[in-house]
Amino acid sequence: MKTPIIRNCLWGVLPVLLLIFAAGLAYSTEGGVVQIYKNATAPFDDETQVDAALTLSIPSVLVTERYQGGRFRTETRKDKIQRFSCSQCHNNKPVRVAQAAEIAHGEIVLNHGSEARPLSCYTCHKKDERDFLVTEQGTKIDMDHSYQMCGQCHFRQKKDWVGGAHGKRISHWAGQRVVKNCTGCHDPHSPRFKKRWPVTYSPPLSKGK
Amino acid sequence: METTQEKIMPHKLSIIKEITAFVKDVITWSLSGGLAYQIYLCILAALMVLGVYAYFVQLRVGMAATNMSDIVSWGFYIANFTFLVGVAAAAVMIILPSYIFKDKDLHKVVIIGECVAIGALVMCLMFVFVDLGAPWNAWHMMPIIGLFNWPTSLLTWDVLVLNGYLVLNLLVPAYILYCHYYHRKPKDKLYLPLVFISIFWAFGIHLVTAFLYQGLPARPFWNNPLMGPRFLASAFAAGPALIIIVLVIIQSTTSFRVEDQVFNKIRRISVVAGIINLIMLFSEVFKEFYLPTHHSQPAIYLYFGLKGHTALVPWIWTAIVMNVIGTLTMAFNPGKNNPKVLVPACILLFLGIWIEKGIGLIVPGLVPSPLGEVVNYAPSWVEVSITIGILALGIFVVSLLLKPALMIEQQYEAGE
Amino acid sequence: MDPRKNKICQKPQEKDCQQTKQRGRREFLKGAARVAAFGGAAMLAGCGGSMLGSKEELSLRWKEYFKKHYSLMTQEEKDETVRRLEQLAKIKKNVNVQMSSAPPIDGVLFGYAFNVTRCEGYMECVAACVKENNLDRKSNMQYIRIFEMEHGQLTPEVGNAKFYHQVPVEDHFYMGVQCNHCQNAPCVKACPTKATWQEPDGIVVVDYDWCIGCRYCIAACPYYGRRFNWNDPVVPKDEMTKKQHYLGNRMRGRGQMEKCTFCIQRSRAGRLPACVEACPTGARVFGNLLDPDSEIRFVLKHKKVFRWKEDLGTDPKFWYFVD
Repeated sequence: MKTPIIRNCLWGVLPVLLLIFAAGLAYSTEGGVVQIYKNATAPFDDETQVDAALTLSIPSVLVTERYQGGRFRTETRKDKIQRFSCSQCHNNKPVRVAQAAEIAHGEIVLNHGSEARPLSCYTCHKKDERDFLVTEQGTKIDMDHSYQMCGQCHFRQKKDWVGGAHGKRISHWAGQRVVKNCTGCHDPHSPRFKKRWPVTYSPPLSKGK
Repeated sequence: METTQEKIMPHKLSIIKEITAFVKDVITWSLSGGLAYQIYLCILAALMVLGVYAYFVQLRVGMAATNMSDIVSWGFYIANFTFLVGVAAAAVMIILPSYIFKDKDLHKVVIIGECVAIGALVMCLMFVFVDLGAPWNAWHMMPIIGLFNWPTSLLTWDVLVLNGYLVLNLLVPAYILYCHYYHRKPKDKLYLPLVFISIFWAFGIHLVTAFLYQGLPARPFWNNPLMGPRFLASAFAAGPALIIIVLVIIQSTTSFRVEDQVFNKIRRISVVAGIINLIMLFSEVFKEFYLPTHHSQPAIYLYFGLKGHTALVPWIWTAIVMNVIGTLTMAFNPGKNNPKVLVPACILLFLGIWIEKGIGLIVPGLVPSPLGEVVNYAPSWVEVSITIGILALGIFVVSLLLKPALMIEQQYEAGE
Repeated sequence: MDPRKNKICQKPQEKDCQQTKQRGRREFLKGAARVAAFGGAAMLAGCGGSMLGSKEELSLRWKEYFKKHYSLMTQEEKDETVRRLEQLAKIKKNVNVQMSSAPPIDGVLFGYAFNVTRCEGYMECVAACVKENNLDRKSNMQYIRIFEMEHGQLTPEVGNAKFYHQVPVEDHFYMGVQCNHCQNAPCVKACPTKATWQEPDGIVVVDYDWCIGCRYCIAACPYYGRRFNWNDPVVPKDEMTKKQHYLGNRMRGRGQMEKCTFCIQRSRAGRLPACVEACPTGARVFGNLLDPDSEIRFVLKHKKVFRWKEDLGTDPKFWYFVD
């Protein structure tokens, strides 16, 4: 019995060809995501395109600098300082000693700068303008805009903060951009983050998921 | 007997009658036998019930009844599935010589190879099914009523080729047995093309299963081009070894006779594949350990243990030793095909490859995790029970198929 | 003559052919009866009695079982399915959830950046994610893993994720990993039922009800981004986040895959994901890659960014950067 070997071998070649065709279908590559976003130069107006973007109701001020997308806001600071305004007490009026012990700034730990050249109170505050931060040159800076003060030394972080690589945006990625100000995360008198326990842990994986 | 051919006319109604009679007899013959056979079937049935009970526990509790986790997300079930696909594909090693090289001796045992293949395929499909976390959603994979991610997902290819191979392996022997039952010669035109397709298809099923693992760059232990050929080599070593064992069992429990040279030929096929398998194993081991990279961590975990986890180390070394001893014994053939030597060698080879290609392939592929974390894995009682149940089912299916098949073949030979 | 009737042709040659056959049939029937009895008992033992529910619940579950794949549904069908799921949550667990089926926003492709210098290992992100996404408390499922790494080592494989001590530790830095939402996701390619896919806004999502639980996607993911529900997830009612999205933080069932979805219930509403919002050091940046004025684009343009396992060709949308 003669078996047509070639014809029967073709039956085997067919699935191989099918495989190659399917592989070609599966692997149609375009440029990566880097190419996609580099090509995306058209402005995106999230105010109109994102239906659900809400404006935040937290108190905020307009930042004096612009970022790449225009104006943005930062949260206020003055309403978070317990005893603002400072001139309530610091107005050359006499203060009773009993009260003074309570309300003097004894609780402030000043740990800002290196050990060799630490900052002092007078680096940022001046005796005669207690309601404002005052630079070495004498420029008055509103407490809500403390970034102008911090940015004098920490200009890299300020540049990143303006652009969005440093600091935190509050709550929404779309809509009006509101970010935390410097003092929202860093205690201005002791700005480094403290050592603390993590909030949770990852359980062991054996028979664990 | 000749009058049968004249009497049975190819009318549609009588073809249905013929098929009904054939099926009835096949079922009756498969279940009838001596007391020993009945007890054997009942034991298998009991093991299957154990498997079913364990499966219902798994359905109730969820996959947490197994010892798999997000790290070792595939375990004992998929290990057995991988190995058994190889056993199913190995039937081609009997079919290929008998049909392409017209080997008369092996032609006689083709039917046995195909029955073993059907049993192995049934087991494979069952293993995949019990491994699914949401089997009630299995219809989501069907092409028209669900979404079938073909050709992108290799699992869909696997589903297609496995089911196609099952159909091929059911149709061809069914047709041949049907013809032999009525003492007719099977028509070449009807079944020979399917046989040739099934030869290529057998290579296909195992390559696709290998590609399932090979195509994942996330798993460096699997992502090497040698997986496919290695799968084929180990399948063609373990499968014929199993067929030798089955033939010896058939020889000792039934009156079906197998010539000695059949054993010799199958042994030689298994030896060649086994030696190629060992060469490939050496090649893999060399790549992993000559200049180890970060990607060698899974191999180090497998062969030596990592970070104190050494669960797999005794298994893999045992498997390699069994593999080498089995292959060499079958190669040098000290007993001259004496079953007392051949069967233990085949068992050693089969078990060695089962360990190495099962757990020894799946778990190191997944450990360490992509984040470098190492866990131990050992199957739970649910996994072991379900595996035992499915193995019993496979043996059950093979027995039920072989009994009438051998009877029909013996009658055909006697009648010819 | 029919060979079946011819006794000589019958094999095996047994003395009492008929009796053996009858004995065989009897044995088989006995065995079958035993199997059926065991099987029935096993079924009753396996399935709990809670399979039955009220008529309304059964009707809802019937409709839910036969629904289409989410991405093939029209918006009306999506809203319908979401209403049904809300009703089921009320019936089965007595919780009022608001589930959304919000579609992706046009012109948005989400990107994420992680500042390795700023992370201090506080793991506020992990806790916030667990709460926001209703992750299973029983198996301690966490989408985010934070690695404590020694200086000089870059990949998390050599870090330690199981730390629990005061952080940060000297001479160590911290790196978080989660689903990278790859543009060329291997998990999307691997899924046999298309239960996971990338939405037009870049988020790789899972239709939990479509998943068959084969776990091929876990094998395919190089970032350990995917989680499987090995048991029924347990979330205490008072800790459950009630504002949910179909593709996001709704309650999953066992046997279903899940993963980080960039908090799709928040990000499609213009809000930041929970991890970004929770980080006390501002180490996480999130935004629209297609908006040239966004913070994420600023980071990608001005900072030294890299992606993890980039050589695998997955094209992730999760960048790491240093100050």
